Amino acid sequence: MRPAGRHALGWWGLILPAFLLMTAFYVAPILQVLAISFTEPQPGLGNYERLLTSESVQRVIGTTLRIGVVTTAIALLLGYALAYRIALSGPRAQRWWLLAVLVPLWISVLVRAFAWVTLLRRQGLVNQGLMAAGAIEQPLALVWNEFGIVVGMVHYMVPYAVLPMLSAMREIDPRVLAAARGLGAGRAGAFLRVFLPLSLPGVIAAGVLVFIFSLGFYITPAILGGGKTLMAAEWIKLQILDLIRWGLGAMLATVLVVAILATLAVFSRLVNLRRLFGAGG
Amino acid sequence: MGQSFHEDCLDLARRALSRGGVDRRGALRALAAMGLVAAGDAVTQGAQAQGARELVIVNWGGVANEGFARHYGAPFEAANPGLKVVQNSTGPSAGRIKSMVESGSVTWDLCDSSASSSRVLGKGNLVQRIDYGVVKKSDAIDEAFTLEYGAAPYSFSSVLAYDSSKFPNGPPQSWADFWDQRRFPGTRLLRRDALAVMDAAQMALGKDPARLYPLDARACLAKLREIRRNAVFWTNGSESEQFLRTGEAVMGQIWHTRAKVLEQETNGRIKFTWNQGLLQAGIFVIPRGAPGGAATQRLLASMLANPEPQVELLKFMGNGPTNPRAAALVPAEFRRFNPTDPENARQQVILDGNWWGDHYTELNADVVDVITG
Repeated sequence: MRPAGRHALGWWGLILPAFLLMTAFYVAPILQVLAISFTEPQPGLGNYERLLTSESVQRVIGTTLRIGVVTTAIALLLGYALAYRIALSGPRAQRWWLLAVLVPLWISVLVRAFAWVTLLRRQGLVNQGLMAAGAIEQPLALVWNEFGIVVGMVHYMVPYAVLPMLSAMREIDPRVLAAARGLGAGRAGAFLRVFLPLSLPGVIAAGVLVFIFSLGFYITPAILGGGKTLMAAEWIKLQILDLIRWGLGAMLATVLVVAILATLAVFSRLVNLRRLFGAGG
Repeated sequence: MGQSFHEDCLDLARRALSRGGVDRRGALRALAAMGLVAAGDAVTQGAQAQGARELVIVNWGGVANEGFARHYGAPFEAANPGLKVVQNSTGPSAGRIKSMVESGSVTWDLCDSSASSSRVLGKGNLVQRIDYGVVKKSDAIDEAFTLEYGAAPYSFSSVLAYDSSKFPNGPPQSWADFWDQRRFPGTRLLRRDALAVMDAAQMALGKDPARLYPLDARACLAKLREIRRNAVFWTNGSESEQFLRTGEAVMGQIWHTRAKVLEQETNGRIKFTWNQGLLQAGIFVIPRGAPGGAATQRLLASMLANPEPQVELLKFMGNGPTNPRAAALVPAEFRRFNPTDPENARQQVILDGNWWGDHYTELNADVVDVITG
């Protein structure tokens, strides 16, 4: 064996305990749970058949995808504007901007959901403000529906959208923009034909990250949905803990895991996800 | 299903204690009466070390570990030398009881369950029949509290609560009114669960409350579909309280314990009626192969037979007694809130635990489908 090979083997040996720990206490139990989808209530593909036949399974998947797509689109739009502003500001201002983006990440998701309830409910600040200003007669239905859920989820997701896009934008050489202007492009032209295409890998990475996160949301929809909107995570919990239909719950969990891995596989071919998520090189 | 009634009781008790509304002794006495106070592992191990024969009551978690032995265990232990009663707060869901019995090593004697679960477990041969030679049927006000596979030392009810400030021309008084969105506009509040919700829908359809069962599931689901868009749904008791307190909903079907708190804390802005409330039994079951044997039946019998601790429980968190002699012992100011006070019980409908035991799993899935559809 070449010295370099033996060297590499040593490094692999160092991560071996962590690898074994992960396998024994994380991967193996998860596979065991997912396997229930093939064994309960009867062995076979009966649970997966429900994907095609059960209206309630299709509805929960539809709702999850719809809310996920809408959340991703809005979070990307807001996040792009923010990232753009941050990327173009001076180093001092950048630090303050970043702090403002990161602070919400440190607040519990539960606290944020309840804060939105306080703002959006019938006697909440938003409705009372609008009514006092004479803009509306009756309180608007801002919460206990999909609108409320999307508001809560976008709020949670914007930082996750900003960070990958910002790291992509920082790599764009400002002189490229100056060159574009020097060659006669207007501000809009320079943005649309130079900056936007160069930042696109960041947009795709942010989109993948936000979308995958959105699929697994549990607390925000449970609190802001008023019990009427079921997304995949809460539906799985309901099947496993309350309706004791473990096979069905494990089936949707499996579908979710496979869908996420497939999404990652597809997009990792399009853009260098590892670099954008901060894995370096 | 989400949070169970037992878990919600603990939540309320914790709050009452922290506000100083109830003294600690009263709290412990009441929780012990319900079998809710946990003695914890230390006590369990201590008892084993001493070699005393012990009975294990399994509850849904407790506010104070030391309370059980002093306030609930002691009377039974005094009457039965050589027996020790310990508490375990694992939360005896039907699924956990099933897996324990099937594993073959049963360590639980008496589990705080429900009427419908007792039926499901009984049909699966997972719990024992109650020995009505030991437990006295005459110690409960109605047959619904002494079932084949479980007996109830406490009761609770799902009642119609409403925001009286929203209805100056007279409040809703029945489930038919609850469904009448023209005469009583505003958002409704229901539990995201089939139990009691379907029963209310059946009454709203006009069926005689005295002959409510069997429910017409298809018609009830259609009736539920009528109001789902104009309703919000709760999964735990504190949520149900908040929806009404903040005016998000103008009326709702909630547990009477929460309705009592709302009526008192909003100075009567939110009121509730016993009329057509769904009276339910807090059923305890004995897993098959429970180590305590015949003594467990005696413990359950003593829980039903003693009206005084049951009244303590009512005074503390509003859970109704089931002993026929208890209602007379209730102080006047608590009678209005006692679900089994003859005056209140008369207006309610006793939920048929046996019918629900046969249909709950299937119907609950349907109800969740309708609500989230």
